[in-house]
Amino acid sequence: MEDQGNKVMVATFANHYGAMLFRKTVGTGCTLRPVPRTLSSSCGTCAFFSGPFLKDYINENLEAVYEQKDGKYIKIYEN
Amino acid sequence: MTISKEKRNLAIAGGLIGIIAIVLVLLGNPKNMGFCIACFIRDIAGGIKLQTAAPVRYVRPEIIGLVLGSFIISLVTKEFNARGGSSPMLRFCIGVMVMIGCLAFLGCPFRMVLRLSAGDLNALIGMLGFAAGIGCGSFFLAKGFSLGRSHRQAPLEGAAISAVNVILLLLVLVAPALFAFSESGPGSMHAPIIISLCAGLVVGVLAQRTRMCMAGGFRDIYLLKDATLITGFIALFIFALIMNLATGNFKLGFASQPVAHSAHIWNFLGMFVCGLGCTMLGGCPLRQLILAGEGNSDSAITVLGLLTGAAISHNFGLAGGADSVVDGVYKVGGIGTNGKVAVIACIVILLAIACVKSFAKKKED
Repeated sequence: MEDQGNKVMVATFANHYGAMLFRKTVGTGCTLRPVPRTLSSSCGTCAFFSGPFLKDYINENLEAVYEQKDGKYIKIYEN
Repeated sequence: MTISKEKRNLAIAGGLIGIIAIVLVLLGNPKNMGFCIACFIRDIAGGIKLQTAAPVRYVRPEIIGLVLGSFIISLVTKEFNARGGSSPMLRFCIGVMVMIGCLAFLGCPFRMVLRLSAGDLNALIGMLGFAAGIGCGSFFLAKGFSLGRSHRQAPLEGAAISAVNVILLLLVLVAPALFAFSESGPGSMHAPIIISLCAGLVVGVLAQRTRMCMAGGFRDIYLLKDATLITGFIALFIFALIMNLATGNFKLGFASQPVAHSAHIWNFLGMFVCGLGCTMLGGCPLRQLILAGEGNSDSAITVLGLLTGAAISHNFGLAGGADSVVDGVYKVGGIGTNGKVAVIACIVILLAIACVKSFAKKKED
């Protein structure tokens, strides 16, 4: 996995519970927000956090992780 | 920046939908019922003879348009995504209960806002119940409630409900004698079929593009302190209010409101059931139709639950009756004993499901 330190990451989930578990695992610096429309047509919850994205963060309800770059989202992981 | 752009789009879409809803009333739909997902699915249940209440039977083209509008735009934008398998049977049952709650109140969250924009204060009581239900549902979401993850499915599975709607539309056009149509009452009142269909298609596209959802709006305020999703319905309310004032359809008060009753506790509890159920399902009845069009078979199953709930409500006397004037005396409507028992039972069952799926799940983890 390339160096993702201090990059803004967005994780999407199958449900709100997955997002809550994710925030608990990541800890401070992780905030839950509505999923940006450009990422999904679902009206669910996503998590914004600072990179790097670690494999320890993965839970069964994690759908994908994106890196925010120049106002765009680049998918770096899909579960 | 992204969020404010989303709010702007939601506000524009909400305003347009509010205008379309009032135009539909001017063209023939029942008063304060330009759109009502619950009432229209109930009318379809009557139209295809699943329920036999004479005043509420019509195959509403708006519902067909909503599903197909979402289906078409999701194909165009490559967002069509066949998914499903997240507790389909529970979703069906919750769909049934949401409809029982809606018909006790006489409207879905969409119509609740339209009724409020016409001055119907009974809808304000309903909104308090709806907000309380979503608050309760949000509590369980925060405690870990989930109906499980959906998975990719074959495209045909996701497209099935849209195909059913196309077939239904063709049958209505080619062989209307197959269906039942009301000769009086709300079911007999409707805009011209082509206009209703086009209105449904446009609102379906707008709702798919903006993810408009009343239940999601309240839920995001409770859980994320975010008012993006609710913006659409605030704009809908404002534009519908302006249109109602301009067309002389605004009448402030509780009494003598069109297709509404002033039995406050049952307006509150009916919409409490709706709010709690919708939060557990992840979206209001409008959102379920839109997600079904996008290929979500869990939402398609929920729509079938709503349809079944409508048939159950009318066949077993659970639905609310409007206030009326009998021999010059104002008679408050509401729901009968069957309806009261059903609404209480729905609350108990929904809370039981929520507890099991929240706390049992936590134990597993």
